[in-house]
Amino acid sequence: MAVDTMTASPAVVDESVPVKFAKPGGVLAALGLLLVAIAFAVVGGDDTTTIAFDRTLTDVEWALPTSITVALLGAVTAAGGAWMIIGLPKRRFKLVAGVAVTAFVLGLLFWAYSQPGTVFRAESILAGALFLSLPYLFGALSGVVCERSGVINIGIEGQFLMGAFTGVLVANITGNVYAGMVGAMAAGLLSTMLLALLATKYQVNQVVVGVILNLLALGFTSFMYDQLKKAEGLNSAFSIPAISWGPLADIPVLGPVLFNQKIFVYIGLVLVFVIWFLLYRTRWGLRTRAVGEHPAAADSMGVNVNRLRYWNVTLAGLIAGFGGAWFTIANSLAFSKNMTAGLGFVALAVMIVGRWNPLGVLAGALIFGFTTQVARDLDASGGSVVPGEFLQMLPYAVTLVVVAGLIGKAKAPAADGVPYNPGDK
Amino acid sequence: MRLELKGLTKKFGSFTADDDIDLVVEPGQIHAVLGENGAGKSTLMNMLYGILTPTSGEILIDGEPVSFSGPGDAIAAGIGMVHQHFKLVGPFSVADNVQLGREHTQRLGVLSAKAARKAVLDVSEEYGLKLDPDAICEDLPVGVQQRVEIVKALSGPKTELLILDEPTAVLTPAEITELLQIMRNLADAGTSILFISHKLKEVQAVADTVTVIRRGKVVAELEPTASEAEMASAMVGRAVTLQVDKTPAEPGEARLEVTGLTVVSDAGVKVLNGLDLTVHSGEIVGLAGVEGNGQTELARSILGLVKPDSGRIAIDGEDVHGASPAARIAAGLGYIPEDRGRDGVVAEFSVAENIVLNQYRDAPFAKRGAVNAGAVRKRAADSIAEFDIRTQSPEEPVSALSGGNAQKVIIAREFSRPRRFLVAAQPTRGVDVGASQFIHSRLVAERDTGTAVLLISSELDEIYALADRIAVIYNGQIVGEVAPDTPREVIGRLMVGGGIHDGAAAASPEEPGAPEPPAAEEAPEPPAADETSNDEDANGGDR
Repeated sequence: MAVDTMTASPAVVDESVPVKFAKPGGVLAALGLLLVAIAFAVVGGDDTTTIAFDRTLTDVEWALPTSITVALLGAVTAAGGAWMIIGLPKRRFKLVAGVAVTAFVLGLLFWAYSQPGTVFRAESILAGALFLSLPYLFGALSGVVCERSGVINIGIEGQFLMGAFTGVLVANITGNVYAGMVGAMAAGLLSTMLLALLATKYQVNQVVVGVILNLLALGFTSFMYDQLKKAEGLNSAFSIPAISWGPLADIPVLGPVLFNQKIFVYIGLVLVFVIWFLLYRTRWGLRTRAVGEHPAAADSMGVNVNRLRYWNVTLAGLIAGFGGAWFTIANSLAFSKNMTAGLGFVALAVMIVGRWNPLGVLAGALIFGFTTQVARDLDASGGSVVPGEFLQMLPYAVTLVVVAGLIGKAKAPAADGVPYNPGDK
Repeated sequence: MRLELKGLTKKFGSFTADDDIDLVVEPGQIHAVLGENGAGKSTLMNMLYGILTPTSGEILIDGEPVSFSGPGDAIAAGIGMVHQHFKLVGPFSVADNVQLGREHTQRLGVLSAKAARKAVLDVSEEYGLKLDPDAICEDLPVGVQQRVEIVKALSGPKTELLILDEPTAVLTPAEITELLQIMRNLADAGTSILFISHKLKEVQAVADTVTVIRRGKVVAELEPTASEAEMASAMVGRAVTLQVDKTPAEPGEARLEVTGLTVVSDAGVKVLNGLDLTVHSGEIVGLAGVEGNGQTELARSILGLVKPDSGRIAIDGEDVHGASPAARIAAGLGYIPEDRGRDGVVAEFSVAENIVLNQYRDAPFAKRGAVNAGAVRKRAADSIAEFDIRTQSPEEPVSALSGGNAQKVIIAREFSRPRRFLVAAQPTRGVDVGASQFIHSRLVAERDTGTAVLLISSELDEIYALADRIAVIYNGQIVGEVAPDTPREVIGRLMVGGGIHDGAAAASPEEPGAPEPPAAEEAPEPPAADETSNDEDANGGDR
């Protein structure tokens, strides 16, 4: 671990004394050098990478020579790694690591988009990335609310499915897409109540319950899907329009990304800050975190541990259910079997990458969303040098690195997954 | 506040943890409750704090009967508690820990960090308990964490009674001195204090009145001026004279040799401090002492569960350093653990499975890696008959048995296999009289076959009934080895760190002269302890 190599005196940690980070530095330096090698050995000398603002300034395009740009980015990565090996002030570590990793990813992107005919449509891709990050965001936020209060929720996938299915069904029945969204929330909430009850009152193993709820949701929605196929007009696609903020939507980059999106995007972003505020600035949040860290302490101060957990898990179900509506309503799709395709589990990884903190979760979700979007884009244009699957693999590699504790420590709430029985003294 | 308990009783199934406890705490008084581990002190406090509901009896505050359905009620009634295992949320700041459950909020439940910080500073100033409200609790030394607990307990809406449950267990000597001073100051300011402890010196130093409980009953009301020997004998009891028929011992060669054994606890305290002890074949050595003087660590070191920091343990003349517990057991070590539930049995397993728990890998109970159910059943049936284990069937889980019968399962397991040396720690704790008699006679029979037996007991009567030689442990050292007919007063004095020749009593001929034990205050100053047991206590188990 990086901390082991600390040379600073433990008495007063001087933030400006250089500290060596040999392992991450070595990895980054190697990756950077690899990128430089690719730039000269693999990329053709006259290849160019084209970047375009495809929505606002449609006539502007930049073409950059690929091999030089990739080599430069590789050099930046390697330099960052080398700095870490030599030793740098501890407070600079995050910044340097961030720059180095970003340079590496940009290098890969430049290389991937160097094929003739492919254009990096910056605005579409960034806007799409934000949109595609939403299922991770809602799922991980649901996980944060749940696990911060000490209940593991493996069942997010199932809640997604229930939300996705019920959202479309309710929208079809009522003819109102917003009623569908409320229906999705209700479905997520109701299907999570079972977990809440079993985890608090009956102290059942939460992972087992979560897995079973997933299978139950998959079976139930698949069965209902088959039934609905026979009845006309119960599983038709509903869509909602993007909200355009007038002139704001015409600002380059920012406009398409932030000011011309569907309501799901805004709800997701607002939710991040609302949950962050609730967790860290309110009585509910203090008690929730206490209950997840040390329930006996909370209990001894008169906090009803299991009641708080019950309602938090239920609230988490509501968030996940709304996330489910993204799959159908936000994407203007009808429900189909297992359409969530495991994203509920990826959301758990995002929650860990985000270290159970809503702001971290936002960053993690954006990374996952971005790579998904780029992979889709590359696959659609065809003939990419770097396979889209490879880019899509990157966030999972990041997850492993975070979980393994290479970049700081991901510390779960201490009582996460441990049922609390006040009488069990 | 005047607190009165009338006939307070708590039963867990057939086990009575507290039996008809009467107790009065006058305003501004420090009332010590003294008793061994398992005497029912913690159960009593948990009833007072609303964590447990009494089976019968009543609690009166200023003459008014009250009933608590949870700690919240107790706090509202003016009771604050400092738990033995701290109930602090590690990653929280001091202010957040103190305000948990009664948060300082602005509108709509939004926290006011300023008000919380001020509240901590106010209380810490009022009582002279220095604290930084913004410090993160898990980074604080144990003594400061305890100060947080005290401030937390005092920050209730109108805390007038403070319960301190074994507050000194994890503290260094310097921190203990400071805590006792704090307690004195609080009492002088009018706060009533209920002080739970089994450390006599601290009780003497600070208490206004002392109640001794043993096996769930109040056995004595003492003044703090009572001698330590008096308190100790009340704690360990002298009521029942246990009678065991036994012939004089015929000690043979040394089976266990412990030399210079030192174990340093996580908190930096030397719980064993250069302990020397020898047990020969064919004798029972009784280890007497007030609990918490290193008995647990000694037993666990012999088994191999604790790695000594220095010193040597030899079994049958062979240094067992680095040998796993399994290797030691295979070499003929038998072990009756003091904490039956944790180290003795797997409660969910059947009686039969528990009986073969240390032999399941050996023939005839295992055949090519598979359990031989027939052999296990036969051994279980034999043991149940031989040891008179009252069970419905060998398939019944041990958790369904009474304490005494569960203990017999352990005895049966340890006795039905060849062994050369036996450690019996509190072998009759929580066991009824009949079963105790049986266990005692088995221990003597065991000795007569030539096994060396180390009997660790907090009950002096048990030591007297069984031991051929008595070693007294105090502060991690053997402070005296005496003959079994040594008067109680002499052993009582040794148990609290006094010299052997202080009285008129005769010492044993083999007595080497008790070394001067270090007083608690002089014990080596450990570095500020870093972590408490908070982690393992995350879910509040008080086990």
